[in-house]
Amino acid sequence: MPLRKKEKSNKTKIGRKLIANANPKSIISEQFRTIRTNIEFSMPEQDIKTILVTSSIPGEGKTTNAANLGIVFAQEGKKVLIIDADMRRPTLHHTFEIMNIVGLSNLLARRSNLQNAVQLTTIKNLHVLPSGPIPPNPSELLSSRNLDDFINEVKNEYEIVIFDAPPLLSVTDAQIVANKCDGTLLVVNTGTVEKSEVVKAKANLEAVHAKILGVVLNNYKLGKKKGYYYY
Amino acid sequence: MNGTLDFKRILKILTRRLFLIISFLFISVAMAIVVSFYVLKPIYQAETQILVNQKNTGEEAYSWSVLETDLQLIDTYNVIIKSPVIVNKVIEKLDLKMTPDQLSGQIYVSNEENSKVLTISVEDLDSTQAAEIANTVANVFKEEIPNLMNVDNITILAVAGENASPVKPNKPLNIAISGVIGLLLGIGLAFLLEFFDNTVKSENDIDEILALPIMGIVSSISDKEYDRSLPSRLTRGN
Repeated sequence: MPLRKKEKSNKTKIGRKLIANANPKSIISEQFRTIRTNIEFSMPEQDIKTILVTSSIPGEGKTTNAANLGIVFAQEGKKVLIIDADMRRPTLHHTFEIMNIVGLSNLLARRSNLQNAVQLTTIKNLHVLPSGPIPPNPSELLSSRNLDDFINEVKNEYEIVIFDAPPLLSVTDAQIVANKCDGTLLVVNTGTVEKSEVVKAKANLEAVHAKILGVVLNNYKLGKKKGYYYY
Repeated sequence: MNGTLDFKRILKILTRRLFLIISFLFISVAMAIVVSFYVLKPIYQAETQILVNQKNTGEEAYSWSVLETDLQLIDTYNVIIKSPVIVNKVIEKLDLKMTPDQLSGQIYVSNEENSKVLTISVEDLDSTQAAEIANTVANVFKEEIPNLMNVDNITILAVAGENASPVKPNKPLNIAISGVIGLLLGIGLAFLLEFFDNTVKSENDIDEILALPIMGIVSSISDKEYDRSLPSRLTRGN
């Protein structure tokens, strides 16, 4: 395969991942705006500032969903921070094409400060905090008191904070953070994740008293007719 | 209401696995074509007809009971024709390289209902040999039957001729049958896969197993979706 073709397809892939920015008029961007509205209206009496995005198993589309959700919130004029809370297999910096030198792990270890670690993106109002260097003990790092202080700090700085967490059934990290977030979104990849796994994931969230906002069905195959309902 | 929903579900399962079902159909039809055109050897058939009459004693009036007896005797003739008495002689006469069992397996005797005409059909890989065997069987039967039974009135009605087109394999039938089998297998497998598929697929599944609200759905980001925009009338409001 010629090299040039490969480069081009790679670029479309990143564009595709951040579709809410690349093509705000697309149907999928509209779907993300629907999720945004649903979040805003799901708990009217409580201000939802910190949202955790997680899933049962890896590869269900957590990062893509977290990123696009952040974009649609930013498009609404809110000051948004997306945090890569997956310190085991971080990918958010690839999605936004930024450097991952200083990030969440440094902040939790109190080796840096928020202003140094947060990176601006080309999207207005949207800031990204990469995971930072991979620590040997992500769970312990998250369980520490520092996480509470960190969450309080970002809550002061931003209107919406979205955590891109690891999958629930692999490690406990997402449970720890879910407990401290205002709401949790469970991304469910249609057609690949077993029902039993989703049930287990929900139980894991309930075990830590996480406030589950609801489910986002990812990779949903719209029928040809069904698509029109979204107009 | 429930019935229509079930029917819709079945239709959905079938359309989802349409590719699987069609490929099963194609594979089995292709296999049938290969087998019936290249693997199975063509078999030719030759037929001869004989009329069997009991020896008439003259005194008895020709009655229904006599006819009845004649018809019942036909079963006996069937056995005699395939018996070694006849078959061995046929092998001898034609100098065939077959065992009596093999040859009798190639001979089929039938009669029309309520008729005394016997049809002897012989199947063979060689069309000439099939005709030869059929004629020899009829002749030997005619010669031998007076020695075995009180019958001497045998007429050969039709001499077997060479039949140019093989009777087996029946290609269209084979292809049709394997097509149906392939289709059924494909549909069966589609349902089996559906049965074993425990993945979450729809809003209903989430309602059933989680009882959590659905905050939204996100379609797969295909090239088409990536390029496709909402119609302008809806975005005009901005």
